[in-house]
Amino acid sequence: MSVTMIARRLGSKLLPRFAPAATLHSHATSFGFKEVNEEEKSQLVGNVFTKVASNYDIMNDLMSGGLHRLWKDRLVSKLTPFPGMKHLDVAGGTGDVAFRILETINSGRAMDDTLEDNLQEETQIYVWLGNLGSLVWVEGDAEKLTFNDDSMDGYTIAFGIRNVTHIEKVLAEAYRVLKRGGRFLCLELSHVDTPIFKQLYDYYSFSVIPVVGELVAGDRDSYQYLVESVRRFPRQEVFASMIADAGFQQVEYENLVGGVVAIHSGLKI
Amino acid sequence: MHHHHRSAAIAKKLLLRSSFFSSAKQIAPAPPLCCRFRFISSEPPFSHHQTPNHFNHPSPNTNTYTDSSSTPPPPQPPRARPTPTPTPTYEEEQARVLAASLHHVIRLGWSEAAMIAGARDVSVSPSIVGSIPRKEAALVEYFMDHCFQKLVDTIDSDDDSQFKDLVPSERIANLIKLRLQMQAPYISKWPQALSIQAQPSNISTSFKQRAMLVDEFCHASNDEATGVDWYLKRSIVGGIYSSTEIYMLTDNSTDFDDTWAFLNERVRDAFDLKKTFQEVKYFAEAVGAGFSSSFQGFTKKGC
Repeated sequence: MSVTMIARRLGSKLLPRFAPAATLHSHATSFGFKEVNEEEKSQLVGNVFTKVASNYDIMNDLMSGGLHRLWKDRLVSKLTPFPGMKHLDVAGGTGDVAFRILETINSGRAMDDTLEDNLQEETQIYVWLGNLGSLVWVEGDAEKLTFNDDSMDGYTIAFGIRNVTHIEKVLAEAYRVLKRGGRFLCLELSHVDTPIFKQLYDYYSFSVIPVVGELVAGDRDSYQYLVESVRRFPRQEVFASMIADAGFQQVEYENLVGGVVAIHSGLKI
Repeated sequence: MHHHHRSAAIAKKLLLRSSFFSSAKQIAPAPPLCCRFRFISSEPPFSHHQTPNHFNHPSPNTNTYTDSSSTPPPPQPPRARPTPTPTPTYEEEQARVLAASLHHVIRLGWSEAAMIAGARDVSVSPSIVGSIPRKEAALVEYFMDHCFQKLVDTIDSDDDSQFKDLVPSERIANLIKLRLQMQAPYISKWPQALSIQAQPSNISTSFKQRAMLVDEFCHASNDEATGVDWYLKRSIVGGIYSSTEIYMLTDNSTDFDDTWAFLNERVRDAFDLKKTFQEVKYFAEAVGAGFSSSFQGFTKKGC
Protein backbone atom coordinates (compact mmCIF):
# COMPACT_ATOMS: atom_id res chain seq x y z
CA MET A 1 0.00 0.00 0.00
CA SER A 2 1.43 3.37 -0.87
CA VAL A 3 0.35 6.65 0.51
CA THR A 4 1.00 9.75 -1.53
CA MET A 5 2.88 12.30 0.43
CA ILE A 6 3.06 15.89 -0.55
CA ALA A 7 5.62 18.18 1.03
CA ARG A 8 4.13 21.45 2.01
CA ARG A 9 5.94 24.69 2.38
CA LEU A 10 4.36 26.29 5.39
CA GLY A 11 2.70 29.59 4.97
CA SER A 12 2.97 29.78 1.23
CA LYS A 13 -0.56 28.89 0.22
CA LEU A 14 -2.46 29.01 3.44
CA LEU A 15 -3.61 32.54 3.89
CA PRO A 16 -5.63 34.80 1.68
CA ARG A 17 -2.74 36.77 0.38
CA PHE A 18 -3.88 40.19 -0.41
CA ALA A 19 -0.71 41.25 -2.19
CA PRO A 20 1.90 41.35 0.57
CA ALA A 21 4.28 42.85 -1.95
CA ALA A 22 2.08 45.90 -1.99
CA THR A 23 1.93 45.89 1.79
CA LEU A 24 5.70 45.72 2.02
CA HIS A 25 6.13 48.53 -0.42
CA SER A 26 3.60 50.64 1.36
CA HIS A 27 5.33 49.98 4.67
CA ALA A 28 8.68 51.00 3.25
CA THR A 29 7.32 54.31 2.12
CA SER A 30 4.94 55.09 4.93
CA PHE A 31 5.80 57.33 7.81
CA GLY A 32 2.68 57.10 9.88
CA PHE A 33 -0.11 58.13 7.59
CA LYS A 34 2.24 60.25 5.44
CA GLU A 35 3.97 58.99 2.33
CA VAL A 36 7.72 59.48 2.11
CA ASN A 37 10.61 58.21 0.03
CA GLU A 38 12.23 54.96 1.12
CA GLU A 39 15.58 56.64 1.60
CA GLU A 40 14.10 59.26 3.85
CA LYS A 41 12.20 56.91 6.08
CA SER A 42 15.08 55.66 8.19
CA GLN A 43 16.25 59.23 8.69
CA LEU A 44 12.82 60.36 9.81
CA VAL A 45 12.42 57.44 12.17
CA GLY A 46 15.85 58.13 13.58
CA ASN A 47 14.83 61.70 14.26
CA VAL A 48 11.71 60.55 16.05
CA PHE A 49 13.65 58.31 18.35
CA THR A 50 16.30 60.87 19.08
CA LYS A 51 13.56 63.13 20.27
CA VAL A 52 11.71 60.58 22.39
CA ALA A 53 14.77 58.96 23.88
CA SER A 54 14.97 61.15 26.92
CA ASN A 55 11.43 60.47 28.08
CA TYR A 56 11.20 56.97 26.63
CA ASP A 57 10.65 55.01 29.81
CA ILE A 58 8.15 57.27 31.43
CA MET A 59 6.17 57.59 28.22
CA ASN A 60 6.06 53.82 27.88
CA ASP A 61 4.66 53.56 31.35
CA LEU A 62 2.10 56.26 30.79
CA MET A 63 0.91 55.02 27.44
CA SER A 64 0.56 51.39 28.38
CA GLY A 65 -0.37 51.90 32.01
CA GLY A 66 2.68 49.92 33.07
CA LEU A 67 1.54 46.94 31.04
CA HIS A 68 4.60 46.99 28.81
CA ARG A 69 6.56 45.33 31.60
CA LEU A 70 4.15 42.42 31.65
CA TRP A 71 4.28 42.14 27.88
CA LYS A 72 8.04 41.93 27.96
CA ASP A 73 7.86 39.37 30.76
CA ARG A 74 5.55 37.30 28.61
CA LEU A 75 7.92 37.58 25.67
CA VAL A 76 10.86 36.33 27.69
CA SER A 77 8.87 33.49 29.22
CA LYS A 78 7.84 32.37 25.75
CA LEU A 79 11.46 32.42 24.73
CA THR A 80 12.41 30.08 27.61
CA PRO A 81 16.05 31.10 27.84
CA PHE A 82 18.74 28.67 28.94
CA PRO A 83 22.24 29.18 30.28
CA GLY A 84 24.85 29.29 27.58
CA MET A 85 22.49 30.66 24.97
CA LYS A 86 23.54 33.23 22.46
CA HIS A 87 20.75 35.67 22.07
CA LEU A 88 20.25 38.71 19.95
CA ASP A 89 17.84 41.41 20.93
CA VAL A 90 17.28 43.92 18.17
CA ALA A 91 16.17 47.49 18.63
CA GLY A 92 16.61 46.83 22.28
CA GLY A 93 17.16 50.43 23.26
CA THR A 94 16.84 50.41 27.01
CA GLY A 95 17.77 46.76 27.30
CA ASP A 96 14.47 45.76 28.90
CA VAL A 97 14.26 42.42 27.16
CA ALA A 98 17.97 41.70 27.44
CA PHE A 99 17.98 42.35 31.17
CA ARG A 100 14.96 40.15 31.67
CA ILE A 101 16.60 37.28 29.83
CA LEU A 102 19.76 37.62 31.86
CA GLU A 103 17.79 37.76 35.07
CA THR A 104 15.79 34.66 34.19
CA ILE A 105 18.95 32.72 33.58
CA ASN A 106 20.80 33.93 36.64
CA SER A 107 17.92 33.46 39.01
CA GLY A 108 17.79 29.78 38.18
CA ARG A 109 14.30 29.96 36.79
CA ALA A 110 15.52 29.08 33.34
CA MET A 111 15.52 25.54 32.13
CA ASP A 112 19.02 24.23 32.11
CA ASP A 113 21.01 21.07 32.11
CA THR A 114 23.80 22.14 34.44
CA LEU A 115 23.88 18.60 35.70
CA GLU A 116 25.89 17.96 32.59
CA ASP A 117 29.56 17.56 33.19
CA ASN A 118 30.69 19.57 30.21
CA LEU A 119 31.71 23.13 30.70
CA GLN A 120 28.86 25.52 30.51
CA GLU A 121 29.26 28.07 27.77
CA GLU A 122 28.94 31.62 28.79
CA THR A 123 25.60 33.15 28.03
CA GLN A 124 25.95 35.98 25.58
CA ILE A 125 23.24 38.43 24.82
CA TYR A 126 23.76 40.98 22.13
CA VAL A 127 21.64 44.05 21.99
CA TRP A 128 21.40 45.55 18.60
CA LEU A 129 20.53 49.17 18.29
CA GLY A 130 19.05 50.29 15.06
CA ASN A 131 19.42 53.92 14.19
CA LEU A 132 18.59 54.71 17.78
CA GLY A 133 21.97 55.94 18.87
CA SER A 134 23.06 56.65 22.43
CA LEU A 135 23.54 53.48 24.53
CA VAL A 136 26.21 50.75 24.76
CA TRP A 137 26.34 47.46 22.94
CA VAL A 138 26.38 46.98 19.22
CA GLU A 139 25.16 49.55 16.82
CA GLY A 140 24.16 49.12 13.23
CA ASP A 141 21.43 48.41 10.76
CA ALA A 142 18.94 45.66 11.50
CA GLU A 143 18.73 44.95 7.80
CA LYS A 144 22.44 44.12 7.71
CA LEU A 145 23.54 42.35 10.85
CA THR A 146 27.23 41.79 11.40
CA PHE A 147 26.88 38.36 12.93
CA ASN A 148 27.76 35.09 11.27
CA ASP A 149 25.19 32.74 9.83
CA ASP A 150 23.72 30.21 12.24
CA SER A 151 25.22 31.80 15.29
CA MET A 152 22.27 32.75 17.49
CA ASP A 153 19.94 30.63 19.57
CA GLY A 154 17.32 33.31 19.87
CA TYR A 155 16.31 36.57 18.26
CA THR A 156 13.87 39.01 19.78
CA ILE A 157 12.63 42.33 18.60
CA ALA A 158 10.33 44.22 20.93
CA PHE A 159 8.44 47.23 19.59
CA GLY A 160 11.06 47.74 16.93
CA ILE A 161 9.93 46.09 13.74
CA ARG A 162 7.30 48.68 13.17
CA ASN A 163 9.98 51.27 12.58
CA VAL A 164 12.18 49.49 10.08
CA THR A 165 12.06 50.43 6.44
CA HIS A 166 12.12 46.95 4.95
CA ILE A 167 10.46 44.34 7.12
CA GLU A 168 11.33 41.44 4.88
CA LYS A 169 15.03 42.25 5.01
CA VAL A 170 15.00 42.30 8.77
CA LEU A 171 13.18 38.97 8.78
CA ALA A 172 15.65 37.52 6.30
CA GLU A 173 18.56 38.68 8.43
CA ALA A 174 16.94 37.17 11.48
CA TYR A 175 16.59 33.90 9.63
CA ARG A 176 20.21 34.05 8.57
CA VAL A 177 21.78 34.53 11.96
CA LEU A 178 19.66 31.97 13.77
CA LYS A 179 20.91 28.46 14.32
CA ARG A 180 18.87 25.41 13.46
CA GLY A 181 16.26 25.18 16.18
CA GLY A 182 16.61 28.87 16.94
CA ARG A 183 13.54 30.92 17.60
CA PHE A 184 12.41 34.30 16.39
CA LEU A 185 10.10 36.27 18.63
CA CYS A 186 8.58 39.62 17.88
CA LEU A 187 6.57 41.76 20.28
CA GLU A 188 4.70 44.53 18.58
CA LEU A 189 1.68 46.72 18.78
CA SER A 190 -0.92 45.28 16.52
CA HIS A 191 -4.51 45.41 15.37
CA VAL A 192 -7.61 45.17 17.50
CA ASP A 193 -10.79 43.72 16.07
CA THR A 194 -13.28 43.35 18.89
CA PRO A 195 -16.02 45.89 18.12
CA ILE A 196 -16.40 48.19 21.10
CA PHE A 197 -12.90 47.81 22.40
CA LYS A 198 -11.59 48.83 19.00
CA GLN A 199 -13.37 52.16 19.17
CA LEU A 200 -12.10 52.79 22.67
CA TYR A 201 -8.58 51.91 21.65
CA ASP A 202 -8.73 54.17 18.58
CA TYR A 203 -10.01 57.03 20.67
CA TYR A 204 -7.29 56.46 23.23
CA SER A 205 -4.60 56.24 20.55
CA PHE A 206 -5.50 59.31 18.58
CA SER A 207 -6.92 61.58 21.19
CA VAL A 208 -5.12 60.77 24.41
CA ILE A 209 -1.62 59.68 23.51
CA PRO A 210 -0.50 62.67 21.44
CA VAL A 211 -1.84 64.96 24.14
CA VAL A 212 0.06 63.13 26.84
CA GLY A 213 3.12 63.29 24.61
CA GLU A 214 2.66 67.00 24.35
CA LEU A 215 2.31 67.44 28.08
CA VAL A 216 5.03 65.12 29.29
CA ALA A 217 7.60 65.18 26.51
CA GLY A 218 6.66 68.37 24.73
CA ASP A 219 6.47 66.50 21.45
CA ARG A 220 3.09 65.79 19.95
CA ASP A 221 4.32 64.86 16.46
CA SER A 222 6.48 61.94 17.49
CA TYR A 223 3.63 60.32 19.30
CA GLN A 224 1.31 61.02 16.44
CA TYR A 225 3.81 59.17 14.24
CA LEU A 226 3.84 56.35 16.75
CA VAL A 227 0.12 55.72 16.78
CA GLU A 228 -0.15 56.14 13.03
CA SER A 229 2.66 53.66 12.39
CA VAL A 230 0.80 51.12 14.48
CA ARG A 231 -2.18 51.42 12.16
CA ARG A 232 -0.01 51.14 9.04
CA PHE A 233 1.77 48.03 10.23
CA PRO A 234 0.49 44.81 8.63
CA ARG A 235 -2.16 42.80 10.41
CA GLN A 236 -1.29 39.82 12.57
CA GLU A 237 -2.03 37.23 9.90
CA VAL A 238 -0.22 39.12 7.16
CA PHE A 239 2.83 39.67 9.30
CA ALA A 240 2.78 35.99 10.20
CA SER A 241 2.75 35.06 6.54
CA MET A 242 5.73 37.35 6.01
CA ILE A 243 7.57 35.54 8.75
CA ALA A 244 6.72 32.23 7.11
CA ASP A 245 7.93 33.55 3.77
CA ALA A 246 11.29 34.33 5.32
CA GLY A 247 11.62 30.61 5.92
CA PHE A 248 10.43 30.18 9.46
CA GLN A 249 8.25 27.26 10.46
CA GLN A 250 5.68 26.86 13.19
CA VAL A 251 4.72 30.49 12.85
CA GLU A 252 2.25 31.48 15.54
CA TYR A 253 0.98 34.63 17.08
CA GLU A 254 -0.57 35.36 20.43
CA ASN A 255 -2.72 38.41 21.02
CA LEU A 256 -2.37 40.17 24.32
CA VAL A 257 -4.99 42.62 25.54
CA GLY A 258 -7.31 41.68 22.73
CA GLY A 259 -4.84 42.52 19.96
CA VAL A 260 -3.30 45.72 21.25
CA VAL A 261 -0.05 43.77 21.40
CA ALA A 262 0.85 40.60 19.54
CA ILE A 263 3.76 38.23 20.05
CA HIS A 264 4.72 36.48 16.82
CA SER A 265 7.04 33.52 17.00
CA GLY A 266 8.79 31.37 14.44
CA LEU A 267 11.19 28.49 14.44
CA LYS A 268 14.13 28.00 12.12
CA ILE A 269 14.71 24.44 11.04
CA MET B 1 -1.43 -6.57 4.15
CA HIS B 2 -3.89 -6.57 6.96
CA HIS B 3 -1.13 -5.41 9.26
CA HIS B 4 -0.36 -2.40 7.14
CA HIS B 5 -3.99 -1.39 7.13
CA ARG B 6 -4.10 -1.58 10.85
CA SER B 7 -0.92 0.42 11.26
CA ALA B 8 -2.29 3.11 9.01
CA ALA B 9 -5.58 3.18 10.89
CA ILE B 10 -3.82 3.44 14.21
CA ALA B 11 -1.48 6.11 12.90
CA LYS B 12 -4.50 8.04 11.72
CA LYS B 13 -6.17 7.76 15.13
CA LEU B 14 -3.01 8.96 16.84
CA LEU B 15 -2.74 11.88 14.48
CA LEU B 16 -6.26 13.04 15.26
CA ARG B 17 -5.10 13.78 18.76
CA SER B 18 -3.88 17.28 18.46
CA SER B 19 -1.79 18.57 21.28
CA PHE B 20 -1.49 22.12 20.02
CA PHE B 21 -4.48 23.81 21.64
CA SER B 22 -3.66 27.12 23.26
CA SER B 23 -4.69 30.71 22.97
CA ALA B 24 -2.04 31.11 20.30
CA LYS B 25 -3.39 31.11 16.79
CA GLN B 26 -1.46 28.99 14.36
CA ILE B 27 -0.98 29.86 10.80
CA ALA B 28 -0.53 26.30 9.62
CA PRO B 29 -2.58 23.46 11.09
CA ALA B 30 -0.15 21.42 13.10
CA PRO B 31 -0.63 17.70 13.44
CA PRO B 32 0.50 16.31 16.77
CA LEU B 33 4.16 16.10 17.14
CA CYS B 34 4.83 12.56 18.15
CA CYS B 35 4.30 10.69 14.96
CA ARG B 36 7.08 8.83 13.30
CA PHE B 37 5.26 6.09 11.56
CA ARG B 38 5.85 4.77 8.14
CA PHE B 39 2.40 5.54 6.83
CA ILE B 40 1.04 8.95 7.52
CA SER B 41 -2.21 10.36 6.38
CA SER B 42 -3.00 13.42 8.40
CA GLU B 43 -6.31 15.13 8.84
CA PRO B 44 -6.37 18.78 9.67
CA PRO B 45 -7.60 19.83 13.09
CA PHE B 46 -9.09 22.90 11.44
CA SER B 47 -11.38 21.89 8.66
CA HIS B 48 -11.14 24.97 6.53
CA HIS B 49 -7.47 24.51 5.68
CA GLN B 50 -6.08 22.12 3.16
CA THR B 51 -4.41 19.02 4.46
CA PRO B 52 -0.66 19.22 4.71
CA ASN B 53 1.01 15.88 4.34
CA HIS B 54 4.53 15.48 5.48
CA PHE B 55 7.54 13.63 4.33
CA ASN B 56 8.90 11.23 6.83
CA HIS B 57 12.49 10.09 6.64
CA PRO B 58 13.64 12.64 4.11
CA SER B 59 16.52 11.12 2.24
CA PRO B 60 18.89 13.38 0.38
CA ASN B 61 20.05 12.15 -2.99
CA THR B 62 23.67 11.22 -2.64
CA ASN B 63 25.70 9.89 -5.48
CA THR B 64 28.95 8.34 -4.42
CA TYR B 65 31.60 7.90 -7.00
CA THR B 66 34.69 5.90 -6.20
CA ASP B 67 37.78 7.57 -7.56
CA SER B 68 39.72 4.35 -7.86
CA SER B 69 37.41 2.77 -10.38
CA SER B 70 38.33 3.31 -13.97
CA THR B 71 34.87 2.74 -15.34
CA PRO B 72 32.59 5.72 -15.43
CA PRO B 73 29.85 5.75 -12.80
CA PRO B 74 26.63 4.06 -13.85
CA PRO B 75 24.16 6.45 -15.40
CA GLN B 76 21.36 7.54 -13.16
CA PRO B 77 17.97 6.26 -14.19
CA PRO B 78 16.10 8.95 -16.06
CA ARG B 79 13.71 10.87 -13.92
CA ALA B 80 10.84 13.06 -14.86
CA ARG B 81 12.20 15.84 -12.68
CA PRO B 82 15.03 15.94 -10.16
CA THR B 83 13.84 15.43 -6.62
CA PRO B 84 15.28 18.13 -4.37
CA THR B 85 16.29 17.42 -0.79
CA PRO B 86 13.16 18.08 1.19
CA THR B 87 13.60 20.33 4.19
CA PRO B 88 12.55 18.53 7.33
CA THR B 89 9.45 19.88 8.95
CA TYR B 90 9.54 21.22 12.43
CA GLU B 91 7.45 18.33 13.74
CA GLU B 92 10.09 15.91 12.56
CA GLU B 93 12.85 17.91 14.17
CA GLN B 94 10.93 18.14 17.40
CA ALA B 95 10.30 14.40 17.28
CA ARG B 96 14.01 13.80 16.72
CA VAL B 97 14.84 15.98 19.70
CA LEU B 98 12.34 14.11 21.86
CA ALA B 99 13.69 10.76 20.74
CA ALA B 100 17.21 11.85 21.63
CA SER B 101 15.99 13.24 24.95
CA LEU B 102 14.77 9.84 26.05
CA HIS B 103 18.36 8.74 26.53
CA HIS B 104 18.82 11.45 29.13
CA VAL B 105 15.61 10.87 31.02
CA ILE B 106 17.14 8.26 33.27
CA ARG B 107 19.57 10.81 34.62
CA LEU B 108 17.68 14.06 34.33
CA GLY B 109 14.08 13.00 34.62
CA TRP B 110 11.19 14.02 32.38
CA SER B 111 12.28 17.60 32.31
CA GLU B 112 13.41 20.41 30.09
CA ALA B 113 16.98 19.57 31.08
CA ALA B 114 16.66 16.20 29.38
CA MET B 115 15.21 17.91 26.32
CA ILE B 116 18.03 20.43 26.14
CA ALA B 117 20.53 17.59 26.33
CA GLY B 118 18.60 15.78 23.62
CA ALA B 119 18.64 18.86 21.42
CA ARG B 120 22.39 19.14 21.84
CA ASP B 121 22.76 15.50 20.83
CA VAL B 122 20.92 16.10 17.59
CA SER B 123 22.93 19.30 17.00
CA VAL B 124 19.89 21.52 17.07
CA SER B 125 19.79 24.67 19.16
CA PRO B 126 18.18 24.04 22.57
CA SER B 127 15.88 26.96 21.82
CA ILE B 128 13.70 24.46 20.03
CA VAL B 129 12.57 23.21 23.41
CA GLY B 130 10.86 26.54 23.92
CA SER B 131 8.77 25.94 20.82
CA ILE B 132 7.44 22.58 22.02
CA PRO B 133 4.15 23.18 23.78
CA ARG B 134 3.75 21.63 27.25
CA LYS B 135 7.34 20.60 27.22
CA GLU B 136 7.71 17.73 29.67
CA ALA B 137 4.27 16.43 28.84
CA ALA B 138 5.25 16.30 25.18
CA LEU B 139 8.22 14.13 26.10
CA VAL B 140 6.10 11.73 28.16
CA GLU B 141 3.46 11.54 25.44
CA TYR B 142 6.10 10.88 22.84
CA PHE B 143 7.38 8.01 24.93
CA MET B 144 3.88 6.59 25.36
CA ASP B 145 3.27 6.76 21.61
CA HIS B 146 6.65 5.20 20.95
CA CYS B 147 5.89 2.26 23.25
CA PHE B 148 2.44 1.90 21.77
CA GLN B 149 3.85 1.65 18.29
CA LYS B 150 6.40 -0.92 19.42
CA LEU B 151 3.56 -2.94 20.94
CA VAL B 152 1.52 -2.80 17.76
CA ASP B 153 4.51 -3.83 15.70
CA THR B 154 5.20 -6.76 17.98
CA ILE B 155 1.61 -7.93 17.81
CA ASP B 156 1.45 -7.55 14.06
CA SER B 157 4.67 -9.35 13.42
CA ASP B 158 3.78 -12.23 15.68
CA ASP B 159 5.60 -14.80 13.64
CA ASP B 160 6.21 -17.37 16.30
CA SER B 161 2.60 -17.25 17.32
CA GLN B 162 3.72 -16.14 20.72
CA PHE B 163 0.26 -14.94 21.47
CA LYS B 164 -2.08 -16.84 19.27
CA ASP B 165 -1.57 -20.13 21.04
CA LEU B 166 -2.49 -18.82 24.43
CA VAL B 167 -5.84 -18.61 26.07
CA PRO B 168 -7.27 -15.07 26.26
CA SER B 169 -6.37 -14.56 29.89
CA GLU B 170 -2.77 -15.50 29.33
CA ARG B 171 -2.64 -13.45 26.17
CA ILE B 172 -3.74 -10.30 27.93
CA ALA B 173 -1.30 -10.94 30.76
CA ASN B 174 1.54 -11.37 28.28
CA LEU B 175 0.64 -8.23 26.37
CA ILE B 176 0.48 -6.13 29.51
CA LYS B 177 3.79 -7.59 30.63
CA LEU B 178 5.32 -6.82 27.26
CA ARG B 179 4.15 -3.22 27.40
CA LEU B 180 5.26 -2.64 30.98
CA GLN B 181 8.68 -4.05 30.28
CA MET B 182 9.22 -1.18 27.87
CA GLN B 183 8.91 1.16 30.83
CA ALA B 184 11.30 -0.85 32.98
CA PRO B 185 14.44 1.15 32.14
CA TYR B 186 12.71 4.38 33.18
CA ILE B 187 11.12 3.02 36.30
CA SER B 188 13.11 5.25 38.62
CA LYS B 189 11.61 8.33 36.95
CA TRP B 190 8.24 6.86 36.12
CA PRO B 191 6.42 8.37 39.14
CA GLN B 192 7.34 11.76 37.72
CA ALA B 193 5.91 10.77 34.36
CA LEU B 194 2.68 9.66 36.01
CA SER B 195 2.38 12.93 37.88
CA ILE B 196 2.95 14.86 34.65
CA GLN B 197 0.24 12.84 32.94
CA ALA B 198 -2.15 13.52 35.79
CA GLN B 199 -1.89 17.30 35.51
CA PRO B 200 -5.12 18.94 34.32
CA SER B 201 -3.68 20.28 31.07
CA ASN B 202 -2.29 16.90 30.15
CA ILE B 203 -4.88 14.53 31.43
CA SER B 204 -7.07 14.45 28.34
CA THR B 205 -4.21 13.39 26.09
CA SER B 206 -2.91 10.81 28.54
CA PHE B 207 -6.41 9.43 28.97
CA LYS B 208 -6.78 9.01 25.21
CA GLN B 209 -3.40 7.32 24.97
CA ARG B 210 -4.32 4.87 27.71
CA ALA B 211 -7.70 4.22 26.16
CA MET B 212 -6.05 3.33 22.87
CA LEU B 213 -3.61 1.09 24.68
CA VAL B 214 -6.35 -0.78 26.48
CA ASP B 215 -8.30 -1.04 23.24
CA GLU B 216 -5.26 -2.61 21.65
CA PHE B 217 -4.93 -5.14 24.45
CA CYS B 218 -8.52 -6.18 24.14
CA HIS B 219 -8.46 -6.23 20.36
CA ALA B 220 -5.33 -8.36 20.28
CA SER B 221 -6.94 -10.92 22.54
CA ASN B 222 -9.79 -11.25 20.07
CA ASP B 223 -12.39 -9.78 22.23
CA GLU B 224 -15.90 -10.36 20.96
CA ALA B 225 -17.66 -8.34 23.57
CA THR B 226 -20.64 -6.30 22.48
CA GLY B 227 -22.72 -3.66 24.16
CA VAL B 228 -22.04 -3.14 27.82
CA ASP B 229 -19.47 -5.91 27.80
CA TRP B 230 -17.21 -3.84 25.52
CA TYR B 231 -16.96 -1.05 28.10
CA LEU B 232 -16.83 -3.49 30.96
CA LYS B 233 -13.95 -5.44 29.53
CA ARG B 234 -11.96 -2.34 28.70
CA SER B 235 -12.44 -0.80 32.08
CA ILE B 236 -11.36 -4.03 33.74
CA VAL B 237 -8.27 -4.34 31.59
CA GLY B 238 -7.54 -0.66 32.17
CA GLY B 239 -7.77 -1.21 35.88
CA ILE B 240 -5.45 -4.20 35.72
CA TYR B 241 -2.94 -2.24 33.68
CA SER B 242 -2.94 0.79 35.95
CA SER B 243 -2.69 -1.21 39.14
CA THR B 244 0.16 -3.29 37.76
CA GLU B 245 1.92 -0.16 36.58
CA ILE B 246 1.74 1.34 40.04
CA TYR B 247 2.76 -1.91 41.71
CA MET B 248 5.82 -1.93 39.48
CA LEU B 249 6.94 1.40 40.92
CA THR B 250 7.74 -0.13 44.29
CA ASP B 251 8.82 -3.55 43.14
CA ASN B 252 12.44 -4.34 43.91
CA SER B 253 12.51 -7.99 42.92
CA THR B 254 14.82 -9.14 40.16
CA ASP B 255 13.33 -8.61 36.71
CA PHE B 256 10.12 -7.48 38.35
CA ASP B 257 9.04 -11.06 39.05
CA ASP B 258 6.70 -9.94 41.81
CA THR B 259 4.98 -7.60 39.41
CA TRP B 260 4.27 -10.35 36.90
CA ALA B 261 2.96 -12.57 39.67
CA PHE B 262 0.69 -9.72 40.74
CA LEU B 263 -0.43 -9.27 37.15
CA ASN B 264 -1.31 -12.91 36.71
CA GLU B 265 -3.32 -12.87 39.92
CA ARG B 266 -5.31 -9.83 38.77
CA VAL B 267 -5.99 -11.29 35.36
CA ARG B 268 -7.22 -14.51 36.91
CA ASP B 269 -9.45 -12.61 39.28
CA ALA B 270 -10.85 -10.63 36.41
CA PHE B 271 -11.76 -13.66 34.40
CA ASP B 272 -13.41 -15.16 37.42
CA LEU B 273 -15.20 -11.88 37.83
CA LYS B 274 -16.34 -12.05 34.24
CA LYS B 275 -18.01 -15.36 34.95
CA THR B 276 -19.50 -13.87 38.05
CA PHE B 277 -20.88 -10.95 36.07
CA GLN B 278 -22.43 -13.26 33.55
CA GLU B 279 -24.01 -15.28 36.28
CA VAL B 280 -25.34 -12.10 37.85
CA LYS B 281 -26.75 -11.06 34.50
CA TYR B 282 -28.58 -14.37 33.99
CA PHE B 283 -29.83 -14.25 37.54
CA ALA B 284 -31.17 -10.74 37.03
CA GLU B 285 -32.87 -11.78 33.83
CA ALA B 286 -34.44 -14.75 35.55
CA VAL B 287 -35.66 -12.60 38.39
CA GLY B 288 -37.04 -10.09 35.98
CA ALA B 289 -38.88 -12.79 34.07
CA GLY B 290 -40.28 -14.09 37.29
CA PHE B 291 -41.49 -10.68 38.35
CA SER B 292 -43.21 -9.93 35.08
CA SER B 293 -45.08 -13.20 35.03
CA SER B 294 -46.25 -12.81 38.63
CA PHE B 295 -47.17 -9.19 37.92
CA GLN B 296 -49.28 -10.25 34.96
CA GLY B 297 -50.96 -12.83 37.10
CA PHE B 298 -51.59 -10.21 39.75
CA THR B 299 -53.10 -7.73 37.36
CA LYS B 300 -55.30 -10.37 35.78
CA LYS B 301 -56.63 -11.43 39.11
CA GLY B 302 -57.18 -8.18 40.84
CA CYS B 303 -59.48 -6.26 38.58
